[in-house]
Amino acid sequence: MSEKKFETVSSFVDDVIIHDESIDEIIKDKELSDTWGRYQLIGDIMRDDVPQTLQLDLSAKIAAAIDDEPTVLAPKNTAKIENSFKAGIINFVKPLGQVAIAASAAGLMVLGVQQNNVVQTNDIAPMQNIQTNPLIGIAEPVSFNYQQPTQMSKKQAYIQQRRLQALLFDHKQQIKLTAINTAETKKANTPVIIPLKDKVENLPK
Amino acid sequence: MRILICVLMLSTSFSALTAEIEQASSWLSALSQTLKTRNFSTSFVVIKNNHAEPYHWFHGVDETGKELEILSLLNGPRRDVLRKNNIVSYIEPELPPYSVETFQMSGGPIPAIFSGDIIALEKGYNFISLGKSRVLGRSAQIIRIVSKDNNRFGYRLWLDQDSSMLLKMSVITREGKVLEQVQFTHLEFSTDLPEPLKKLQVADMPPVIDVPESTVNNDLRWKVNWLPNGFKKIRSNYHRLSITKQATEFLLFSDGLVDVSVYINKSSVKHRAPEFVMNGATGVFNQVVNGIEVSVVGKIPSTTAKSIADSVSLLSFHKKR
Repeated sequence: MSEKKFETVSSFVDDVIIHDESIDEIIKDKELSDTWGRYQLIGDIMRDDVPQTLQLDLSAKIAAAIDDEPTVLAPKNTAKIENSFKAGIINFVKPLGQVAIAASAAGLMVLGVQQNNVVQTNDIAPMQNIQTNPLIGIAEPVSFNYQQPTQMSKKQAYIQQRRLQALLFDHKQQIKLTAINTAETKKANTPVIIPLKDKVENLPK
Repeated sequence: MRILICVLMLSTSFSALTAEIEQASSWLSALSQTLKTRNFSTSFVVIKNNHAEPYHWFHGVDETGKELEILSLLNGPRRDVLRKNNIVSYIEPELPPYSVETFQMSGGPIPAIFSGDIIALEKGYNFISLGKSRVLGRSAQIIRIVSKDNNRFGYRLWLDQDSSMLLKMSVITREGKVLEQVQFTHLEFSTDLPEPLKKLQVADMPPVIDVPESTVNNDLRWKVNWLPNGFKKIRSNYHRLSITKQATEFLLFSDGLVDVSVYINKSSVKHRAPEFVMNGATGVFNQVVNGIEVSVVGKIPSTTAKSIADSVSLLSFHKKR
């Protein structure tokens, strides 16, 4: 029986057409399919058609390698842990950024109107220009590492925005005035005129 | 024997390091020399908050050795800074034109110290040479100016291999996030003064304003107890913010590269949570604690701003202790 089977395999290798059932039998039977492999290998060797390194049982090696591989259920997200601080900021900023943009847009509109009125009625109110000028910087919340303020009303948000812009503007003005003092040592004895002092500094008594 | 090899290796690596630092600082002094002595016409853009601001910048030295300089913003209302040797004029939409007596144009996108004594920054910063790159079609040397502590931002400069001129600059956080960038888009050196500077030569400058001594160093009731190393008080006074008319005590500090303003005033509310917003690299910190509002403005990280604000105390109270 088994002799006959090996014969079938042999004839199958030699391209002698046999019944479909015997092919199925060969595939199902491990011993027979191994024999099929061996016969093919013998044929390859006789035809001098073998690769330099013989991988006699590649499939078994691959299967073993897959078995050795540890099962990864959920990959660890190390990157996320590293960036949690940053991500926190972004999440934090998003809603606030929207409020701030809305607030600054409102600020621009309101002051734009005011400024137009001022221009019509009065010659100089140069300070009012500040808000309409994007160069002063619409301070945009970028990082906000601290406690989130409780829901600010739109008006409060606007007032706060204005306060922060006032600080930013004053800081920039003060830096320009600072130059005088750092250069004071080199100061030439030219007479000094003080026509604009009050406007620049707005000094209280 | 092994120790000897160790020492030898250490010393060579050490000398390589010092050589690198020396190289970086010689690049920086070459930069300030170029900014002071060459005639140039340049254009650059400042990139911050997702938009770009274009500028023209001219610099030249006339026959008598006096420096002339124009820095103008090209978009929006006119915003020019003019300099004739020791007079710097500001033309801005907010104020009538005025001049101050100084040798440096302050408040511009490029730190004034770059054309001054840039090596003095060594106290608070390390200079590191980072290799080469290509900027504005030229081969550029990258130099980093890194704070020695964690309380400041870092700067990265791209300098022209030939002229040592600034080609690009970034202000970056410790984490490497770019907050503000200056990118040159045009650079031309000339033997003659650039045309706009010839016009400036014959132009009249706005009147010079004086800052009275009383506004320079007032005795204040409040004291800032903590600042990052290297920051010195430039001046203090009592003035009103021009926009909100809020009267406030004011202190200005600088480490040469970074200016930090501290504002202290009474608030109508008892408490307001800290808030920190940024415009490019310039942060504005504001909080109210026990009815006292403290604000800190400058190109510093939020943590530094908060530490400065938290360190503010009543001076008299401080003295009693």
